Amino acid sequence: MALDDMRPIQERCSNCSFCKWIPFDKQQSLRFAVACPSIGYYSWNTNSARGRMQMGRALSAGDIGYTEKAVEIIHSCLSCGACDVSCKICRYNMEPLENNMELKADAVSKGHILPVQAEMMESLKAEKTLIRGAKKADRTAWAKGLGIKDLTKEHADVMFFAGCKYSYDEKLQPLAREAAKLLLDAGTDLGFLAEAEMCCSGRAWQMGFFGEFKAHAENNIALIKKAGVKTIVTPCSDCYHAFKRLYAQLGLDVEVLHIVEFVERLINEGKIKFTKSLDIKVTYHDPCHLGRQGEPYVPWSGKEKKIRNQIHTWDPPRPRYNGAYGIYDAPRNILKAIPGVELVEMERIKEYAWCCGAGGGCSETDKKLSEWTASERITEANTTGADVLVTACPWCKSNLSGACGEDGKSIEVADLLELVRKAM
Amino acid sequence: MALDKEILRAFAAVVGEANVSDDPAICENYRTAAHQSSAHYGPYYHWTPTPLAVIMPGSTKEVQGVIKLCNKYELQFKASTSFWSVHGYITSDRAVQIDMRRMCFLEIDEKNMIATVGPVVTHAQLHAEAIKHGLCCNIPGVGCSCSVVANTSGWGGPGPSSPYTGNGNENLLCMEWVLPDGRIITTGSAAMGAGWFSAEGPGPEQRGLLRGGRGLCGELGICTKMSVKLSPWAGPKTLTTVGKPPAYRVQLPDNFRYHTICFPDWDNWAGAMMALGDADIVFTGHRQFSMFGRDIKAAMLRIITDPDKQLADITALNELPEVQEHSKSIKIELNITLMGQTPEDLAWKEAALDEILTQFHGWKDAWSEEKENNEWLMTYFVRMGHKNLNYVLCGSYEGCFGLNGANLVKSAQYAEKAYALKREWEEKDTFFAKVGGDCSMGGLSSLGGAGGPMLWEFFAHFDGMDPKSVEGTRKFIAEQSSRFQAENKLGPEFCYNCAAQRKPDAHGFSQEEHNEMFVNAPQPYPMVYQWKIRELFNPNHEKVSGSYYQTLDPEYLKKVRGM
Repeated sequence: MALDDMRPIQERCSNCSFCKWIPFDKQQSLRFAVACPSIGYYSWNTNSARGRMQMGRALSAGDIGYTEKAVEIIHSCLSCGACDVSCKICRYNMEPLENNMELKADAVSKGHILPVQAEMMESLKAEKTLIRGAKKADRTAWAKGLGIKDLTKEHADVMFFAGCKYSYDEKLQPLAREAAKLLLDAGTDLGFLAEAEMCCSGRAWQMGFFGEFKAHAENNIALIKKAGVKTIVTPCSDCYHAFKRLYAQLGLDVEVLHIVEFVERLINEGKIKFTKSLDIKVTYHDPCHLGRQGEPYVPWSGKEKKIRNQIHTWDPPRPRYNGAYGIYDAPRNILKAIPGVELVEMERIKEYAWCCGAGGGCSETDKKLSEWTASERITEANTTGADVLVTACPWCKSNLSGACGEDGKSIEVADLLELVRKAM
Repeated sequence: MALDKEILRAFAAVVGEANVSDDPAICENYRTAAHQSSAHYGPYYHWTPTPLAVIMPGSTKEVQGVIKLCNKYELQFKASTSFWSVHGYITSDRAVQIDMRRMCFLEIDEKNMIATVGPVVTHAQLHAEAIKHGLCCNIPGVGCSCSVVANTSGWGGPGPSSPYTGNGNENLLCMEWVLPDGRIITTGSAAMGAGWFSAEGPGPEQRGLLRGGRGLCGELGICTKMSVKLSPWAGPKTLTTVGKPPAYRVQLPDNFRYHTICFPDWDNWAGAMMALGDADIVFTGHRQFSMFGRDIKAAMLRIITDPDKQLADITALNELPEVQEHSKSIKIELNITLMGQTPEDLAWKEAALDEILTQFHGWKDAWSEEKENNEWLMTYFVRMGHKNLNYVLCGSYEGCFGLNGANLVKSAQYAEKAYALKREWEEKDTFFAKVGGDCSMGGLSSLGGAGGPMLWEFFAHFDGMDPKSVEGTRKFIAEQSSRFQAENKLGPEFCYNCAAQRKPDAHGFSQEEHNEMFVNAPQPYPMVYQWKIRELFNPNHEKVSGSYYQTLDPEYLKKVRGM
């Protein structure tokens, strides 16, 4: 697809503004009714998916060119997909998220990128990670002494993929170790790509660098195929989305599990047993790329077909990603299984959850937007009376933790795995 | 055309640099296609003009500052919030768009049953906040995504719940309004500092001046705050929904009921509509899903209530015998919800409904009574959060025929003839969707009481990006449905409801054009009266004004007709 191919969708947007808000049936207050952080923060109509439809059309038609403001706005989309869910409450022939992504890709392909993005891509090229300043040589530091198999040298059924954030963030490295230990202790035949591991490049895709993403993904797919693993387990929601949805489009055909799915399975099989009661009240933040964007990939190739003169359908019917089948139950089931944990929900959850602010690379490229988005989530978590805000993604944990302490807002932010280990 | 940088700086001084922009990337997004969002002035493939700048004021004071600058520099302005309807967009090439999104506040006064809201608050948000206090609001037929202030000040605001809550305009209490000359006025009891509870205040009734019967669509300045009346709500404090998207279902207590009530013919249907009005038992009443078309509405109901189905399933679903039976059952119908304040109240309303059904040979549709279907249907009408389904088939529609000009008894007599004409053209050509003729939708009449107009929005679904589809639909309306309306004395064509407000090229009319349009009207004085009001309020009214406010120059009337 290219931006020009989105023209029918752009022109058929009915301007309803559903994309700005969480589904109306789900709204419980004025305070937490907004779905799209980009318009929530900047307020311009242009920042919404509806505005991005119009911008895409105008750029394609040559009505406008790329201005500095256009480039800023295009890259201020967190790729969280909240607009997509809300739009599809009523529309069956619109793809707002896809349009947002094609808009980014078009800008990138024409050189309209942000300076920080250039640095990130340079890092991806040189150090195989989008985290600026990180060195490839340090990537496996978190795994030292764990005894995980090196899949480039020996076989294992399950590949553990820590991802860049867990691998390089010193505060998060212990969590990666805990996650791997959890699996090893449960008797999992576990390996990792060791020195050969590199970024999944999902965030490159989220920023619209489709070419770089593809090249990187194909290298990873070759390594994974060579290793012959049956299952990939990752504790990172961005990596999960990359493997599950994006790599699948490029031919990766192995089971992909987020660690919460694997842990739920181990709990059900009796391989994880809890011995301690935590006595805490928690609320759960659904990561966008595990939740609404965590739906399985369904191969499709087809074209538009009008039936009954003018009704738009696709032939064959196109998979309809609207967040209905994201990963929502597994983390909640784990929380329910931990003794002494009371789960209280925020207003915006599951397929209509508010983004943590790190999506689309915005934690690097648009810090103010990213910090505000995280801060909004902390406020929302505070209204539940929870002691701990639990999540299942290192980017979410990092971004949400960073927003604590501002304006008197504070809550302990924890990865779900931390609670699991504490209760074992 | 570009805005002088000095003017831009002047706006920035009022609202802050971050809240004004003339960047093409911003301005381009404050345009819309004229055919989009059912503007009801005809489907045309033209775009509204590009604003010279977009300005986002954050307070009434800032709105005042912006308007004063618009006057100084002779710029037309138009305020909007949701930017759904084409009516919220500018109408001339020398205009700025005012985006009210920063003005977001809401306060509920439970004791006095009122809400005070800022421009960006939608009906969904007002409803969500009101039910926490045991109150609810009118949600207009356009759906809960639209702004309370825009709909209530700019339009009439009838909706499915209007028989219970009243229309939007009937619920309007006090307003804070920045006039075109920059003066800020407050109306009703708020003008006396007595609170925002009553529309009555010092001096003449200002609602009539500022919004009139139908609403101004934002021509006489900008409404920055208003209070609206709320109604008792006998439901829970939050809507708890279950189900996968998009088929969310709210589970309401037993004092809420939903039914699709059906009738063997239009005579019985019309009789029942009047009886329902007389009995005063309805919480929401609407002929809604007929908008999809008689031949596919049963299939569409299955699609929108099942997260795994999509539009491509229409064909296969229509083959199923149960769908065909269901289609027959709901051919002539009304979607109705009842809300009982007590169990006895609900029992009485159910009994009254049953009696009306017996009297008019009606029945309750069995599919709609099934638990999950019933819950979904209830959800639809309680919050009206799925109204963009209006556009689901093709992306655009326009309301043709418009059987609203007559009372429901008369329009019901002509319904099948109108459907047959549309069906004939669905078969004859391909420009609009072939869905079975009958696409007429409308609320249980709350206009003029029971027996008022219904069946008013008769959908013609077309593809907005296909010029042939747009033009074919336009031609059908101009040549077929308009003729049908005139021949049968059914009142004005619905599609041209707003035809005097904006031209086919999406620009506004000039005063000269409006003069020509209205000078030979049977009753030209209302437009003269409006000219005088605008003259009073708008210092630039002859140089810069819009055609949403319909005026006739008294001098021109005198010259042409000697009146």
